[in-house]
Amino acid sequence: MSAMDPTEVFRQEASELFEVLEGALLDLGQRPDDRELVDSAFRALHTIKGSGAMFGFDKVASFTHEFETAFDRVRKGEIKPTQELISVALAAKDYIRTLIEDPQSTDDIIGEAILDDLRRFVSADQPAAPVAAIAEAPPLARAESKQAGWHLYLEFESHILRNGSNPLDLLEDLCKLGPCFVVPVTDGIPFLDEMEPEDCYLKWDVKLHAACDKDAIDDVFMFVQDEMKLTLSPLAQIEAPAPAPLFLLLDEEQVPMAEMAAPVIEIAAAPIAEQPVAKAEPKPEAKPEPKAEAKREERGIATVRVQAERLDELMDRVGELVIAQARLSQLAASGSDLSIKMIAEEIERLASSLRDTTMGARMVPIGSLFGRFRRLVHDLSRDLSKPVEFVTTGEDTELDKTMIECLADPLVHLIRNAIDHGIEDNATRAANGKTEQGRIELAAVHSGAQVLVTVKDNGGGLNTARIRAKAEEQGLIAAGAVLTDHEIHQFLFHPGFSTAQTISALSGRGVGMDVVKRTIENMRGSIDLSTRPGQGTTVTLRLPLTLAIIEGLLIRVGEGRYIIPLSAVEECVELTAEDERSRGRNFLNVRGNLVPFLRLRELLTASGSPDKHQKTIIISTGETRVGLVADQIIGNHQTVIKSLSKLHSDVTIFSGATILGDGTAALILDVAQLVTLAQSKVEKQHISEAA
Amino acid sequence: MNDSLAGEHQTGAMQVVMIGLGEEKFALDAGLVREIIDPVPVTKVAGARAFVPSVINVRGNVIPLADLRLRFGMPQLENSADTRIVVIELELDGEPVLVGVTADKVYEVTEISQTDVQQTPRVGMHWKPEFIRFIAKWREEFVIVPNMERILN
Repeated sequence: MSAMDPTEVFRQEASELFEVLEGALLDLGQRPDDRELVDSAFRALHTIKGSGAMFGFDKVASFTHEFETAFDRVRKGEIKPTQELISVALAAKDYIRTLIEDPQSTDDIIGEAILDDLRRFVSADQPAAPVAAIAEAPPLARAESKQAGWHLYLEFESHILRNGSNPLDLLEDLCKLGPCFVVPVTDGIPFLDEMEPEDCYLKWDVKLHAACDKDAIDDVFMFVQDEMKLTLSPLAQIEAPAPAPLFLLLDEEQVPMAEMAAPVIEIAAAPIAEQPVAKAEPKPEAKPEPKAEAKREERGIATVRVQAERLDELMDRVGELVIAQARLSQLAASGSDLSIKMIAEEIERLASSLRDTTMGARMVPIGSLFGRFRRLVHDLSRDLSKPVEFVTTGEDTELDKTMIECLADPLVHLIRNAIDHGIEDNATRAANGKTEQGRIELAAVHSGAQVLVTVKDNGGGLNTARIRAKAEEQGLIAAGAVLTDHEIHQFLFHPGFSTAQTISALSGRGVGMDVVKRTIENMRGSIDLSTRPGQGTTVTLRLPLTLAIIEGLLIRVGEGRYIIPLSAVEECVELTAEDERSRGRNFLNVRGNLVPFLRLRELLTASGSPDKHQKTIIISTGETRVGLVADQIIGNHQTVIKSLSKLHSDVTIFSGATILGDGTAALILDVAQLVTLAQSKVEKQHISEAA
Repeated sequence: MNDSLAGEHQTGAMQVVMIGLGEEKFALDAGLVREIIDPVPVTKVAGARAFVPSVINVRGNVIPLADLRLRFGMPQLENSADTRIVVIELELDGEPVLVGVTADKVYEVTEISQTDVQQTPRVGMHWKPEFIRFIAKWREEFVIVPNMERILN
């Protein structure tokens, strides 16, 4: 792979940091007292500033510096992170992002305005702050702030200069914390002929006469702490030894106070993320963010960035391999050579595990997507002045990365709908005895070969009567037609259908739900709505795990062979002579349950005469179970999905095609569409009979 | 594609693949043709429009197989020893689409020149004029240069 553009590397890195920063800021809005969050936001800022300067993004660096300075007061506990402050901080974050991604499109004035806001917030609290800070700050900080200073001993690894770090710059930063007395320790310097000009042999002994806390010192060495040894002890002239249990990061254990002759803080090359978090996390849903971050740092070495196209290409190759393997298996099965059969089986096993591994490599936890919506909810809830609590569960649920990308837009739409239409305004909520804060839950969960993604709100629910009235007004149904609520709700997916009385910036244009539905169906998924008046609406998206390969059931209808997605198949039964005889009623008796069946021969216009013993494949789509009558069930088939071309986009009953072992193409049945088609055929028949 | 045609008009020559459908000869713009293959097993697509009745597997891609004979009101002959499938690439709604076209016979790759181009007559044809880009004269015969985008839309 050619060397990547360093600026591009920075951009990528920065975009990850922005996610961390945004997540931390949003969490902070909910848990203003969580120091961990403040620190993680601060770390992200600091890294953006540092690498921004390194890669020549001077504007980014200077802006972030100002931002950091303001935010530092939050970190010191001098001011509280209020909602307003967080909004400004988010705006500042967005500004930095534009500075990095599209510097031309911004203006310094915007940046100045944001900074002014930040400064205003930061300084507005100043008079009251000190009192509050002392009350709020944990005892640890108070104890430290009484100290007269620190004694530091710095020892860098010899290769430090080659990484572009300059110890002198770090010392300069350290001096900004307060008056420093710096003594270089030269005993490590070798003779001239042994000296590597690029190595660092100096050590430093620093006395820092400032009552700063330990974190401030750590921050100075944040980037190099893995490559240095920092010995830190309070200066001798303190009145009393600091009573707080300072972190000793050796072996990640806290050493009891008694064993500590002097409270020495050693920073070994242990990952910082391992810091024992003593605080009990108040809410379970608050967990994922810091945890995920910790994981990322732990796994740092074990992960490799791969371009998405390469994964796609790999998937294509595996798809071809699976097809070739199917041909080999077929050939082997028809011959009598035992050794060929063995090899064919071996290859089948390998191909299927290779397929699973490749698909696994494309799986991404859906949490990366959920994270984006927190900001959306935050902004919407502010703009509409509807306080909303946003809860996500199942972030670990994995989905194919292409699906995650496709899901973003539909989910944005559903969440917008939930806040704009679902959650009632404050007055209505109060009148109905609900809490002032609305609640939106975004959840993902595995269910067999599907993933269910639900958007649930506790708002007013769908207004069935209004939807019905609107449908009648638009001439979609005749007035007085008997419809179930479920059927009425389906009109929401009709293009151009909107019941919102006023058109707002967010919704009401009637563009959307139909697009959502189409997007989900293009992913071979389905969408369900359920609602309870006054209690809220739940939208459930059912999605297949992957887009590329599915398990299918290969069947024969007349001359043609077709694939039914195995995920839809419930069972296969033989069509008895009795069922066969009665042409008027197309019903099966499956263990006492009535199941209607469709003759595929008719739907697929098969030629020739039907086989003697017809088979029925019972499939489920949504809430209905339907039997599909075929001539023969051939068996299980690893189906590599190939999309049908535009020229066949008018044919809805096939969701795609695949290539069979003998090289012919077979079509994949879209069972939901098939049932819909059959229903409309029946309706047409009834209408023509009535006429 | 129309631009490139205009360009060819000016230079006067156009590379074409000459194919036979029924009694007629058609000239397909050679720039569109990806490959010419022997007939392969076809898979019928129930409910598809009549001129794209099936799909075929071409090197791991499932592509539609179009039948131009239907568009020009010709009888569909059984596959013979001469039958070939010409795979062409078209732009439909801004996206490249591969389509197979059944040809009763493929003659040769040749050139037709601008001077041979005839105006499409307004009368005396039972074909829809929009399916025809123009009619050219080639070796004392009239050949049809079809407008594939129109035919397949």
